[in-house]
Amino acid sequence: MLNVAVIGTGTLGKSHVANFAQIDGCQVRRVYDVVAEAAQECSEQVGAEVASDAKECYADDIDVVVVTTPTSYHAEYCVQAAQAGKHIFCEKPMTRTVEQGEEIMAAVAEAGVTMTVGHVVRLFPEYAQATKMIKSGELGKIGMVRMTRINTMPRGSHSWFQDFEASGGVFLDMSIHDVDWLLWTFGKPERIYMKGLWEHMPKLDYALCTLRFPDGTIAHVEGSWADLGLFRTNFEITGSEGLLAHDSTANVTLTVQKRATEGTGAAEVQVPASPAYKSPYLMEDELFIEALQTGGPPPVSVSEALEAVKVALAGLQSAQTGEVVEYQ
Amino acid sequence: MSVKIGIISFAHMHAYSYADVLQHLPAAELVGVSDDDAERGRRVAGELGIAYYDSDEALLDNVQAVVVTTENARHTEQVLQAADAGVAVLCEKPIATTVADAEEMIDACQEAGVQLMTSFSCRFAPAFIEANNMIVAGELGPILAIQGTNRSRNPGGWFTDKQLAGGGSVMDHTVHIADLMRVVTGDEAASVYCEMDTVYQPELPVEDSGVVTVEFSQGCIGSIDCSWSRPPHYPIWGDATLCIIGESGNLWLDLFLEHLDYYHNPDDSYNWTSYAESPNYVLMEQFTDCVQSGAPVPITGQDGLKALEITLAAYESAQSAQPVSLPA
Repeated sequence: MLNVAVIGTGTLGKSHVANFAQIDGCQVRRVYDVVAEAAQECSEQVGAEVASDAKECYADDIDVVVVTTPTSYHAEYCVQAAQAGKHIFCEKPMTRTVEQGEEIMAAVAEAGVTMTVGHVVRLFPEYAQATKMIKSGELGKIGMVRMTRINTMPRGSHSWFQDFEASGGVFLDMSIHDVDWLLWTFGKPERIYMKGLWEHMPKLDYALCTLRFPDGTIAHVEGSWADLGLFRTNFEITGSEGLLAHDSTANVTLTVQKRATEGTGAAEVQVPASPAYKSPYLMEDELFIEALQTGGPPPVSVSEALEAVKVALAGLQSAQTGEVVEYQ
Repeated sequence: MSVKIGIISFAHMHAYSYADVLQHLPAAELVGVSDDDAERGRRVAGELGIAYYDSDEALLDNVQAVVVTTENARHTEQVLQAADAGVAVLCEKPIATTVADAEEMIDACQEAGVQLMTSFSCRFAPAFIEANNMIVAGELGPILAIQGTNRSRNPGGWFTDKQLAGGGSVMDHTVHIADLMRVVTGDEAASVYCEMDTVYQPELPVEDSGVVTVEFSQGCIGSIDCSWSRPPHYPIWGDATLCIIGESGNLWLDLFLEHLDYYHNPDDSYNWTSYAESPNYVLMEQFTDCVQSGAPVPITGQDGLKALEITLAAYESAQSAQPVSLPA
């Protein structure tokens, strides 16, 4: 039985706690959050202990540490967890800086532990299907690839997402999903050019990034934290043999509306969804546990996660300097 | 009294739509066509029930205004002739393929005292008019970013002849969105970056895909997808879309979206059949009104030139893989 400890019980932390709790062969033993009430509430759902210090999450009785804190704390916790010999699941983006990412990579290699990063989009069936079709060659030579990811400005504990120094804004925090998918599907880009509105945070952020790949593919990544509506994504891939497109708003299999109820304060709400037998978020946690059990490679490696951070930061560098970034 | 109008050449397919509009517009009288492809000219004249003139000069002697819908690189020749003849001109976009040509056209028309209007019909799409009114009224606050697309099938024919078209998809499709961006921002581009390639039909002598990044002098950022990325059997010729991010709100435009889904058994086809009103009607109405009243045209040769400058900067950028600055 693998004992899991979770550091950071915000939205994604809670989601991972619930997922690990239902996977055979592991249990959530301990949770920690700087906001004690958040950790308490989260622990009750799965019968976990509440740690009073993050260090208790690397105690001898723990095998796996899940790091779901704000990005700028990932390096500190991941390095400590690795040094304590724990396997690590870290949320994306792996780090705020390249140096932090390299520190984690070194610590993980030295400790010989297994680590993965939550680049979950690869597991979304629409993205996985697109990659499969591109790699099979059935779309021919790929030309334009357009990736869009749109959300409202997230808050998070102490509004950390809205602090550019902490989160890196929409491109590092959210568009990195599309960046990882592009790297996974097309390899490393050769140059990157970007314009962004990070200076408008905390009100909004927006990014328009062009990536050129060695095979000629031109990718356009649009990331928005300027939206006022529901989260949505879309992509369009065009090649010499065809066009492949997906729009999350056009593929809703279930829509639920709820009337406002007097007295309870519940507002009128409409929630679109596309339920799956197994959510990609559960799948990524299962694949990680499976890798630990079998000794196989993690679903996403630390070096892949570092590459995604490097590319996203290269985009920000381009936006901040106005120059094209030649990617090594 | 209606305005006597002629059409020079049916090389550009928009000529058919203009002819249709002119035959329905009470203020206009479509008197005839000239075409250096005499067979095409005679056929079209016959279909429309109007005169065919075997020279442009002969047509110009009989009209107050002409629509110039020759191949892009030949606009200059016909516009200079029209100016000489004292005939007002509606010129198809892009206005020309070089800055020198565009400037010569603008100067000649100014000296001759004839109106020169550039055919940026998207400005007259009802959704754009509504959006721009909101923007002008300040409802979106300052405009921070504009992401646009003008994608289509490969139009084929002379559009892929570099001499006649001046380029490929980037020449064909940058100017409409660039023009709308100029209208919305009331500003001029300061820098342009572009990635382009020939992908969908590798044997083409011109590019068929591209994405242009623009930054305006007051800081608004934007991108334009100007690819011929719609496959031959795509249900519509293409699109013109804009996502506009303002400090106080966002808006999306999809100018050619209005359609009925049409599945047609005899040829196993699926197409979009549009029910939208043609912006060309309003375009032509305004043009003829200006010709009649002598008022300045709403879209000038200078507007055509500014959009062309962005396009030409895109080619320069793609050559050097560096952003190109435009003079203030």
